[in-house]
Amino acid sequence: MKKSLLAAMAATIVLGGVIAGCSSNSQTEGSTEAGQGGTKQLSFMFRGGPEEQKAYEATVKKFEADHPDVKVKIITTTGDQYATKLKAAITGKSVPDVFYFDPGDLRAYVNAGVLKDITEYVKDVDFDNIWKRGVDIYRYDGNNVGQGSIYGLPKDVGPFALGYNKDMFTAAGIPLPDKEKPYTWDEFIKVNQQLVKDTNGDGKIDQYGTGFNVNWALQAFVWSNGADWLDATNTKVTIDDPKFAEALQYFADMQNVHKITPSIEDAATLDTYQRWMKGELAFFPVGPWDLATYETLPFDYDLIPYPAGSTGKSATFLGSLGIGVSSGSKNPEEAAQLVTYLTASPEGMQQLVDAKVQIPNLIDMAEKWAADTTTKPANKAEFLRIVEDYGKPMPNTLTYNSEWYQLFFTDIQPVLDGKVTAADYVKAEQPKMQKLLDKAVEQEAKSKK
Amino acid sequence: MKVRSNLYRKEGYYGYLFVLAPVVGYLLFTLYPLLYSLYGSFTDWDGLGQMTFIGLDNFKDILADELFYKASFNTIFMMIGIPIEITLALLLAMGLNRKMFGTTTFRVIYYVPVISSLAAVSILWQWAYNGDYGLVNQFLALFGFEGPNWLADKYTVKPALILMMIWKNIGYSMLLYLAALQSVPKDYYEAAQLDGANSWNIFWNITFPMVKPVTFFIVVTKIIGGAQIFTEVNIMTPTGGPEYSSATVVFYVWKKAFENLQMGYASGMAMLLGLFIFVITLVQFRMNERASKDME
Repeated sequence: MKKSLLAAMAATIVLGGVIAGCSSNSQTEGSTEAGQGGTKQLSFMFRGGPEEQKAYEATVKKFEADHPDVKVKIITTTGDQYATKLKAAITGKSVPDVFYFDPGDLRAYVNAGVLKDITEYVKDVDFDNIWKRGVDIYRYDGNNVGQGSIYGLPKDVGPFALGYNKDMFTAAGIPLPDKEKPYTWDEFIKVNQQLVKDTNGDGKIDQYGTGFNVNWALQAFVWSNGADWLDATNTKVTIDDPKFAEALQYFADMQNVHKITPSIEDAATLDTYQRWMKGELAFFPVGPWDLATYETLPFDYDLIPYPAGSTGKSATFLGSLGIGVSSGSKNPEEAAQLVTYLTASPEGMQQLVDAKVQIPNLIDMAEKWAADTTTKPANKAEFLRIVEDYGKPMPNTLTYNSEWYQLFFTDIQPVLDGKVTAADYVKAEQPKMQKLLDKAVEQEAKSKK
Repeated sequence: MKVRSNLYRKEGYYGYLFVLAPVVGYLLFTLYPLLYSLYGSFTDWDGLGQMTFIGLDNFKDILADELFYKASFNTIFMMIGIPIEITLALLLAMGLNRKMFGTTTFRVIYYVPVISSLAAVSILWQWAYNGDYGLVNQFLALFGFEGPNWLADKYTVKPALILMMIWKNIGYSMLLYLAALQSVPKDYYEAAQLDGANSWNIFWNITFPMVKPVTFFIVVTKIIGGAQIFTEVNIMTPTGGPEYSSATVVFYVWKKAFENLQMGYASGMAMLLGLFIFVITLVQFRMNERASKDME
């Protein structure tokens, strides 16, 4: 009897690694002391695809060459491991000197004293020549984001534009879309229907109009119809607005009613992304981080504004990722120098732009870049219009945590499958999301103490 | 005399030194985090700043949390793979225990997935399950079936994960069974054959009871491991699958802890999971004990 209890306990504890926290391998080594010969050590943790990692590593090398007294230790992870690793480093009090962070985590990190106020170190930066929207999301005065001290600078801004396959239009003899005037929703459906084709005559459709991923493209339709996930105070979930339901229904109908997208089963991101790259989709969103990959597309593509809902105006999101300095850094000045080198210096920026992994943060450089219509896509100016004019931050970055927002997408499949109407869905989902948002608001209030 | 006792003392000293390493490792990397997490489960803690003691509030919330139940259900559902895997492993082991050409090759083939990295295997299967050009559906197409998009459909995602885990783990159980089978004395089989027992009788009365300790070991470790499924789910269905249909408890713990700034709540769930594993393991040990007594 006793023996079995003990044995069970031993088996559980030895094998029950989970309770011990899967992240206890404290890998990141925190701020470092000044080494011999006056060299100062910095650690820099970031994430990105292979192209991005290469570009950033090369840029950091250049920084070291320009600052002989500073040595930078690079720590990289893949995108999906980054949040875990960073938060484990924070819990373990070994935060890297310089690191990427999501704008949605800004308040939590500032309130918990993780991020350093770098306002005084970035005085020489010419803020008139950097996207204001990009910088403002890293300002925080203790109550509101958008004003006050600077806690980071944008690694880049990510305007999520709409692309279209030019060759497909030419082949079908359809006039190219207007890059100034967006399609109305009805026009968009009609154009798409003309492009859905069985090109080899085997009875199966092999060319579709589009195939949007709901997580990344629904916002464009909701916003351009005058609706949103949150009210102006970011404390109320507003998805039960009929305008919201209308946009969601339109989104679902593209698949179920108008049949302009691959069938439900094929709609996972990878598939539509692959289809676009194989030239099987007429319209697909294009982010600046994909430009290097899209160089090799076997067709010509360009950018246009998203189709406009009842507001008559296009909408889409403008993403960003911040680079900040740890408040525990022993060399905050050098750390801030690395941040400005990567985000705001012409030398650093040019390298990253040449690697085709982002659009320039510097306005004059961006304008020159966009004016060059000889490289694909020709209408790069659309990216800049999103940054300056109509791009909005993702709703989940406006609140203390994004659980309420995730729930919306966790439960959404029946709507996309056409089994539940958008109107019923938003009515049922709003109270559940509101409850989670209330909790987040409460949590934020507590974190300020 | 004195020399000898000194020698013993020295030996004992080294002995303790050898024991020290795992003990310190255990205290530092298992016991301490465990107690820390236990304390965390009674606090309101975002994983960044202060921990505020709130008693049992986390547990009250967890027990009213729909997604926690969903994740628990998924975790238990995916354990369906365990009896399937054990049965197949025993059959395979019996097959490969015979003197036959090529058994070594087969043993290697079945064992290769076990030593492969779980992350790599997950990515491999993610491709295989792709609805459009995945290997699985291409194979089904040979027989005229049109396969679903396995990982994007809430009805197929769990079976797909179970199948992959069986493939990944079967070699391990098979090898253990193989070792057990080889230690069964041959005279038992000879005696049974002389008495005219058929192969089913032989299996049921000799083979099965003789490998029982191995079966017990495999069942216990599989259930403990099965309760903690995470990597496969996280890589193959990073959002928890359609309508959270592939999210497991550990996946949900991870989301809460590292994405939603609720480390206290996540610790609470980890504690409940630990308790669940402990109780299940205890029950198994008790049942095993009783069964061994019955045999005597």
